[in-house]
Amino acid sequence: MEPSELERFEAIVLPHLDAAYTLARYLTRNDHDAQDIVQDAYLRALKYFGGFRGQGSAGDGRAWLLAIVRNTAHTWRRRHRGDALTTEFDEKLHSDTLAEHTPATALDSDSARESLYQALDRLGPEFREVIVLRELEGLSYKEIGDVTGVPIGTVMSRLARARRRLQETLRNREEGE
Amino acid sequence: MTHRELELQLDAYVDGELVPEDARELEAHLSGCGDCARLHEARVALSAAIRKQVPALRAPDALRDRVRATLRDAAGTTRVRRSLPAVATRWLALAASLATVAVGSWRLALSRAGEDALSGQVLASHVRSLMPGHLTDVVSSDQHTVKPWFNGKLDFSPPVYDFAGRGFPLIGGRLDYVGGRPVAALVYGRRQHVINVFLWPATRGSVGVAPRVATRQGYHLLQWTTPEYTHWAVSDLGLAELRDFTQLLQQADSTVGGPATARPLP
Repeated sequence: MEPSELERFEAIVLPHLDAAYTLARYLTRNDHDAQDIVQDAYLRALKYFGGFRGQGSAGDGRAWLLAIVRNTAHTWRRRHRGDALTTEFDEKLHSDTLAEHTPATALDSDSARESLYQALDRLGPEFREVIVLRELEGLSYKEIGDVTGVPIGTVMSRLARARRRLQETLRNREEGE
Repeated sequence: MTHRELELQLDAYVDGELVPEDARELEAHLSGCGDCARLHEARVALSAAIRKQVPALRAPDALRDRVRATLRDAAGTTRVRRSLPAVATRWLALAASLATVAVGSWRLALSRAGEDALSGQVLASHVRSLMPGHLTDVVSSDQHTVKPWFNGKLDFSPPVYDFAGRGFPLIGGRLDYVGGRPVAALVYGRRQHVINVFLWPATRGSVGVAPRVATRQGYHLLQWTTPEYTHWAVSDLGLAELRDFTQLLQQADSTVGGPATARPLP
């Protein structure tokens, strides 16, 4: 590959590294796996970069990259099922990283945050990913559909179900306390 | 409309994804149905709680370096920048960017890369505005606060709109300096995305120039000219949505009509 071509790839795809890491991290709930997945995804992206450019200026590098990250993560889960990607509470994600990246004002309600995390953890991956893509990455329904490979109507109903389940879990938790 | 149907539409509504006619129908229903109004409030609160409590993360620096190194290895261009440790490279890059901004010669670098100087300035202003504390001089979602704020600061009164109902709320405005003149920068939001709209009076002969689109460094830039103003919209938002937004602006402009001076000030 020509150096200029690599520079083009880096200019278009590297700015989305944080988004890629965020998605991988919430899908795997594990920093180490998330890093490996992101690295793997970037290699795949480089390989298929020619195909992406073929889509013309309408192609959005972020949605394109996130689709690759998502597929890489799902391949990992199938390969490591029952191993690293269990549903146990990720202490590190809930403490260090949050303390580092959350504004001080958000840190005053630890228990609310913990409830929300546990509710998210209980969601199936297909529901958790739409929440992450929507609320954290700010993708449109169309983009979420592109990333997850489902029609917009499915994106809509998955988001509705995901949010309803989150609300049910949070409500049950409040009542159980 | 059953509650089940409404709940499905409600999420699309909260997400600003409902077409205007459906949104109006749903709003009418919400105003008359207490149960649904509570459901709506709960959805908005949940969305806000997730955004507040569940952060988007920053990739560790080690990962950033590792990805770069892996890409360069894979692309077979290992000679580039590998003689310096990553930290030194970053500092050099930072120092270089500071130095070039300081002497104003960054435009040279852009034109060397085949970029249009003005779009480079607009993009640089957009990126600078995203740095902490640089986004707005006047923070308000009220167009009747933002518009008068420019009085006495610019020799024109920029049109300001609020498209909150269409999912593009007004965030505020600021003064900026582009193309050798002070310009209005209006800040709109779309979910977590920021859209900067730069505008200044159009020069004679520039009217009718076809809208231009550019994508650089992961940002989309749209430029169009009305009889009154030259507009630039910049965002990391998807191109389709940015186009939707600029169409809203153009529609609003053509609805108001008339020269800026004849437009009644709020």
